[in-house]
Amino acid sequence: MAVDNEPRETFEDVDWDDIDETTRAFSRKTIVTIGAYMLFAVGLLYDYVLKPPRADTIEPLGISLQALDWLYILTLLTILVGVVVPLYENGRMTRYYWQQFRKNRAAVASLIYLGVIFLIGSIGPRFLEQPTVDPSNAYQPPVFTSAPNWLPVECAGEVAGGSCHGTWAHPFGTTHEGKDILVSVIYGMEVSMQVGLIAALITITIAAIVGVSAAYFGGWIDAALMRYVDIQITFPTFFLYLMIVYLYGGSLFSMIVIFGLLGWGGIARIVRSEALQRREEEYVLAAKNAGASGYWTMRRHLLPNVSNSVITAVTLLIPSLILFEASLAFLGLGDPTVPSWGEVIASGRSDLPNAWWVSTIPGIFLFFTILAFNFVGDALRDALDPRADGGDK
Amino acid sequence: MATYILRRVAWAVVASVIVLTLTFLLLYFTPDTQLAELQFQAAQAGDDPEAIGAAYESYHGYDQPIHVQYIEYMGNMLSLDWGWSETRSQPVTTAIAEAIPYSMMYAVPSVLISSVLGVAIGLYSATNQYTRGDYAATFFAFFGLSIPDFWFGIVLFVLFSGMLGWVPIIFDTTAATFSLENLAQFILPIVVLTLSSIASLMRYSRAEALEYVEAEFVKTAKAKGVGDWRVLTRHIFRPASVPIATILVGDLLGIILVSSYLIEVVFGIPGLGTLSFEAIMNQDTSLVMGTVLLPAFLTIIGNLAQDIAYTILDPRIEYGDS
Repeated sequence: MAVDNEPRETFEDVDWDDIDETTRAFSRKTIVTIGAYMLFAVGLLYDYVLKPPRADTIEPLGISLQALDWLYILTLLTILVGVVVPLYENGRMTRYYWQQFRKNRAAVASLIYLGVIFLIGSIGPRFLEQPTVDPSNAYQPPVFTSAPNWLPVECAGEVAGGSCHGTWAHPFGTTHEGKDILVSVIYGMEVSMQVGLIAALITITIAAIVGVSAAYFGGWIDAALMRYVDIQITFPTFFLYLMIVYLYGGSLFSMIVIFGLLGWGGIARIVRSEALQRREEEYVLAAKNAGASGYWTMRRHLLPNVSNSVITAVTLLIPSLILFEASLAFLGLGDPTVPSWGEVIASGRSDLPNAWWVSTIPGIFLFFTILAFNFVGDALRDALDPRADGGDK
Repeated sequence: MATYILRRVAWAVVASVIVLTLTFLLLYFTPDTQLAELQFQAAQAGDDPEAIGAAYESYHGYDQPIHVQYIEYMGNMLSLDWGWSETRSQPVTTAIAEAIPYSMMYAVPSVLISSVLGVAIGLYSATNQYTRGDYAATFFAFFGLSIPDFWFGIVLFVLFSGMLGWVPIIFDTTAATFSLENLAQFILPIVVLTLSSIASLMRYSRAEALEYVEAEFVKTAKAKGVGDWRVLTRHIFRPASVPIATILVGDLLGIILVSSYLIEVVFGIPGLGTLSFEAIMNQDTSLVMGTVLLPAFLTIIGNLAQDIAYTILDPRIEYGDS
């Protein structure tokens, strides 16, 4: 053993002021994160304040961003910062959860399916023109199938034996207005993802803030917030949407914002009851003893520890949001300018006996998307929630 | 317990008042499309739009101060005077009362089937966990949970009435309630509604029953040689029935209210959903409000019934905090 002649630094020698200063410096990650949000804010400011009205956002590329697009960018940015980066940083934890998640093969397949839908839905609308009305192109059957020759106005494919065969020009066929169904379905992917993700982000933000602060502060704040949630839950959300869409008309943007602003009650309750248990745990008491502020305790100790149940609840909320949007679009109360799955299903309703593909194909996509979210949510619950063990000990 | 129930009833009343107040405020601050249209027509005919607007407002009492309008509105709501449906030329309450039987004709059988079948399948899944039957039931539940009911309705409708001709295409309102014809036209709505409501009931029953499958008293009963059926009905189902009964009232109601709306539009059943949908399409504001508020009140009553059922069925519950 080497004899250490240097005077050893003891606990009392540590210069805490110095350490405080070094830890206060921003890490690279913080700088990049703040920078990304600043970039977003500058872009938003430019779009709404500086640039001449009615001009495209990025003139040379002809890209024009609407309020919905900005909100979607913010959502994707937040998902990147709040989900993807932490998963990448905590590799060991991610691998553990992935081990748990992988046990459910249906959920893995669902995740891949959702990823594909998200990718196609994000890229497709950038390169494809919105489906246009073209009466001469109506009722083209999908590729590999055929329809009676009298149905399409002009058969795009070959005509054989009195029936019109589908072509690769319209792999999923066309509607009675001659709109290409594949293009509509791809646009619908983006719509569904926007509805699900943006509304979920708004929901998760409000529910987390309300639930955690209700649990942390208690007293009259808790009572007031939870009474409000009681009232909000009372009104069946679907009928509330119906009423508001009826009174104020429904653009996709307002529909998503309404979904997000009015649908967080149930999740806020879950967050509150979880946070109430966490509040009494030793590490929270220790943090408070060490002088942690209320914000710090909530942000660093309560929120991370309730996030598992929140993530699960939100994953199970997304399919119902997508279904709501499709239902409203089906009823003709959605955004008329956006080709959503519900709208295409409605447009093919009366044609089903002859042109089965119009309603069926977007319906299949809708069904599998909802199913996939349900599977992923169920697997996440099993993977993240140690209590919902399901009995397989 | 009596005070607890009284408090819940009082809360239900308060919630109803708040819902009505919010609806009133929404209506008060929304520009009236009918007025705009009237003024537009008047301007085209060469009349003074302002005068028409004033006449319209005084006819409907919209020129009164807000608190007078509010008191009048609440009084009307309380006395079941829910306004006049312009498109149907009848009071809103009459229109609703005429529509309700059609909604009941498929909703009641569907609730009965899904509650009996859903609980039964849930119990089977719990006692035969991780068997092929359990997986099949789980798959079925996910299918029911995920299938968009309006889409499934259309597909079934086309298949069975358009292609196979087994059920009538046009809804016949003259068919007697308990007749084969009526059964034929209601069978598809019942199937679709049952499928969407049975799923959550199955999952919930399974989860609740699982809590008791491994319980000490169940093991004791089995050790004493009690038969499987008796263990299932007396030892597992009885404690599990309390939470299951409550989901029956509250959550099932919510699912059925939404699903039936779409199902009626798809199948052309002249029930509450179609009434509301047509009112929206025809901009008949008082009818829209009536048909949207009714589900809200039903939900409040359902939640109240759920809470009261819980206190009566489960003697362990504490009434101290709500």
